[in-house]
Amino acid sequence: MSKGFASSFRLVLLASAVLLCFASVGVRLVHLHVLDRERLVSYVDQARKSVFTEQARRGDIMDVRGDVLATSRTFIQLGVDPHVLREEDSEHWPRLAELIGLPLAELIGVFNHTERVNNAGEIRLVRWAKLMDEVEESTYATILELGIKGVYGNRSYRRTYPRGQLAAHLVGFLNRENQPSGGVESFADFYLRGQDGWRETEKDGRRREMAQFRDREVPANDGFGVVLSIDSMVQHLIETELAYIGETYTPAKASIIVSDAESGFILGLANYPTYDLNEYGRVPMEIQRNTAVTDLLDPGSTFKIVPTAAALERGLVTPSTRFNCSITSMEYKGRVRKFMPDDHSYDHPLSVAEIISKSSNIGAAQLGMALGEQGMYDAAREFGFGEPSGFPLGYESRGLLNPPDQWSALEITRIPAGYSISATPLQIHYSMAVIASGGELLRPQIVREIRDATGETVYHFGGVARRRVLRPEIARQMARMLVGVTEDGTAKAAAIEGYEIAGKTGTAQKLIDGRYSNRHHVGSFVGFFPASHPEVVVTVIVDDARIPGGGVNYGSTVAVPAFRRIAEQLISYLDIKPLVAPEAQPRIAMEGTHW
Amino acid sequence: MKKSTSAFVSEFMLYLLLLTGLNGAVWMGTVWMRHQISETAEFTKQTESKLVAVERRLAETTARLASEQSPQTLESKNHELQLGLVRPAELRIVRVAESPERRLAAKRNFQIFTEEVSTGEASVQFTFNEPAIR
Repeated sequence: MSKGFASSFRLVLLASAVLLCFASVGVRLVHLHVLDRERLVSYVDQARKSVFTEQARRGDIMDVRGDVLATSRTFIQLGVDPHVLREEDSEHWPRLAELIGLPLAELIGVFNHTERVNNAGEIRLVRWAKLMDEVEESTYATILELGIKGVYGNRSYRRTYPRGQLAAHLVGFLNRENQPSGGVESFADFYLRGQDGWRETEKDGRRREMAQFRDREVPANDGFGVVLSIDSMVQHLIETELAYIGETYTPAKASIIVSDAESGFILGLANYPTYDLNEYGRVPMEIQRNTAVTDLLDPGSTFKIVPTAAALERGLVTPSTRFNCSITSMEYKGRVRKFMPDDHSYDHPLSVAEIISKSSNIGAAQLGMALGEQGMYDAAREFGFGEPSGFPLGYESRGLLNPPDQWSALEITRIPAGYSISATPLQIHYSMAVIASGGELLRPQIVREIRDATGETVYHFGGVARRRVLRPEIARQMARMLVGVTEDGTAKAAAIEGYEIAGKTGTAQKLIDGRYSNRHHVGSFVGFFPASHPEVVVTVIVDDARIPGGGVNYGSTVAVPAFRRIAEQLISYLDIKPLVAPEAQPRIAMEGTHW
Repeated sequence: MKKSTSAFVSEFMLYLLLLTGLNGAVWMGTVWMRHQISETAEFTKQTESKLVAVERRLAETTARLASEQSPQTLESKNHELQLGLVRPAELRIVRVAESPERRLAAKRNFQIFTEEVSTGEASVQFTFNEPAIR
């Protein structure tokens, strides 16, 4: 028989004590986990469980070269709890004042302002006093390094537009409530906004997250980047030109559009007046509107390309067909129709090419009569008038083009000359682009690519033709005739040596109080180059420019010189080759050689 | 042979203590493991927040860079620093119609054959040295 190392009594006592301990622990566990479970679990859930939202970063908007036009970044609102400040930190106060650009006396004033009286007359402690609204991350890091207790910031994401007013009417903005307003910000919001993530986790008594208790985690998906077709440099060129026009002629408004002749993608679009996207709140809604898309005007003589091209397309005339443009009226469908007078008289019947180059209202009206009301209306519709162009940004106007049964007797003489019809600058631009593209009506597009957060291209947009309007040979004939406008017509000032510039001027009287005014005009020039192989289409429209000396705002007065300045800069920037290489004049490359 | 009660209790107690010790060791191991998990999780959290901070600084730098590279800023810097840079004008551009390589080669060959050959002074002269191996 073996003998134990302790007496039975002691062993029983020890065993009982151990069992009792276990039993008491067991009882407590049953109490906590079974009997009082509901209350304790809800308490713990409330005190410890929390759901954190991970904010997705809104995607960037870039130009065609990848330069950032809109981006999201954090700003810190810096403040202080004056009750937590320590005397020993006061040596760093001057540096803090310097960093946030606040006079030291003012800073100390904020620090000493520890109490306030509320509306009810009660004294309250100031636990947060704002020091600065938008502190940058780098500055905030320096401030934290100072170690001033009680000075801290609250971080928030903000949309910022590093290029200020560049392409303001195209980019749009995100308002204070983070709601997109206009432009690409609104149109591409689906791609840009991304998807917020979240995680369920627990926090400790000091409200710090205990990362080991993260239950579920859904990562945030940052928004896609949107690459536009506009080129910052082209955009800057036209905005500089608009600023010059605005300063010199103080027009009511003005628009310049530049697009790729082949694909229809917009390279630049700007309006005067414009605004800084970072200060959208300070400008009226009127200025925020993209007037090139929303506002209507009579296209004037730029519309004459429509009856001319349509008459050529239908085989009714050839470029050499002549019309008597010295008459004042003509019988049409049994009634005498009076023409709009021309600015000049002609000693010979004008050919179709001359009607375009001399911009004859009488000639255009006769081309319209040759087409007939329905033919004229159909031609205008084919060129995109009276219907939305499909431009995705802003509230595009469809223009005004009444069906023929609503036309008055005079309208067959007015509409071919660009009156009694209203269109947006964009519609006027793309009607000319029909000829530049070789006969196709292109859809105005602005978004080139969608890129994911890593920069990989997710979707690429290509040029879209809405329909074919003219046969390519008719488009070429039209282009040749339009070169005549700059060689021997109303826009000689647009000609550039070595380049074939095709285009059409327009001067439309403005409707003031229901009557066409002799003092207020919309001057325009729409052109493309090189005419034989078009690369860019440029439109300049200036509404109600005040010409020094009291002149008339003809298309040739303001719009044509502006077009020429833009064209010259586009030629060197886009490296558009001249039709015939000018005689090589070695100046730089061969300098200092024996060549 | 029948075991006495005290021997049984002693043996039971021994096992109980061993079990308690084992249990304690297991729980200590579990606690240590949980501590390691929480430390790793905390480290991951800190790394994440560092990453987020870097991304924030990156966004700030991107925005600042974009602002500094804007044509408007560059033009004002050009004016401010009096650099005198101007946009290229068509008049100052020489367009080379033919192949630039061919033209440059022709220029080089022209120099060789006109200057050196015509004057009889070749730029490369061949001389006969003593044999290297004697």
